[in-house]
Amino acid sequence: MKNSVIFVGVVIVVVTGLLFLGKSFTSHQGQVASANGNGDEDRFNGKPAPDFDLKVLDGRGKTLKLSDLKGKAVVVNFWATWCEPCKIEMPWLVDFQKKYGGQGLQIVGISMEDTDEKTISDFAHKMGVNYPILIGTEKVADLYGGIDGMPTLFFVDRSGRIVEHELGLRGMDILEANIKKSMNSTESAKAQ
Amino acid sequence: MKPAKFAAKVMSVVMLCGIVFSQESGSSQGRGYVEFDPLDTVSVTPGQTKPVQFTFHVKNGYHINSNKPTTEELIPTTLGFTPPPDLVIAKVQYPPGQLTSFPFDPTQKLSVYSGDVIIKAAIIPQPHAPSGTYTVHGEFRYQACDNNACYPPKKLPVQFDLKVAKAKKSRPRPTRQSPNIH
Repeated sequence: MKNSVIFVGVVIVVVTGLLFLGKSFTSHQGQVASANGNGDEDRFNGKPAPDFDLKVLDGRGKTLKLSDLKGKAVVVNFWATWCEPCKIEMPWLVDFQKKYGGQGLQIVGISMEDTDEKTISDFAHKMGVNYPILIGTEKVADLYGGIDGMPTLFFVDRSGRIVEHELGLRGMDILEANIKKSMNSTESAKAQ
Repeated sequence: MKPAKFAAKVMSVVMLCGIVFSQESGSSQGRGYVEFDPLDTVSVTPGQTKPVQFTFHVKNGYHINSNKPTTEELIPTTLGFTPPPDLVIAKVQYPPGQLTSFPFDPTQKLSVYSGDVIIKAAIIPQPHAPSGTYTVHGEFRYQACDNNACYPPKKLPVQFDLKVAKAKKSRPRPTRQSPNIH
């Protein structure tokens, strides 16, 4: 009887310990991935950017397909008006569009919110946005991994492949390096 | 120990650990950034106002907008209820936001909640509210961010039990006798 109690106690301690060790390990892994902002780069990088066909804000019913931009390096920026870090990033994107637009860069904003289009349009005007804003859908968000947080950026090279992606606000220098990477990747060179 | 008895004991221990673990890991799933601290049953008497407070906990590393964010684009935190008939939940009082600047913009201060958020309200059962125990359902709406990113708005279901006591019978006022009657 005594042996059986001891044994059961040992099993409880060992099993519980293993389960919690496993949990804390996976939780730690998750934090690392989140801190890097792109912990699942294997899932996207080097893969063709999923095509979309989305309504252009203030475009009088026009839509824009990602595949229409083939030959250009594209930054796909998922954002929302209620996202303060997105607001910080927008002027940088405006500057990059000005600086690299002539070299074949196209920034595309995808608004991910339920707000009416006028609010989004007013906000975009206030921010001086000089690139197209598209009205996002859950379907497109799912194609890009679900878009859990914003801003989320995908850097697509001229051949239509994702070369980098970032979740959350990164430094302006990191964005610029990623833009250069998307414009100058080997695949981009072939596509030119 | 007999092998069958032994195996049964081991199985039950493993199952018990499994249940504990699944509950533990389940609580961290669903990408919620706020937890509701369950409320004990609230007892009220018809016609009497009962103050009540709801405690929410914003997970470490995240913040949510206060009820009065600093800019119009930001989504305010709100708590709303759909109480049963004859019950009113009113005077919802939100705590003031903490004015905080974040690494993404050190020049700007945002009005946010982090850690524990206590929202006060008053439950007012109408004088004719029938006695009994009711489950009150509500919704805590918030939009969370961390130091680098913001996450889509969320609705956290909130519920608590409300026990309405029987209304106190109002005693008929003793009629004053006319001083002229002897």
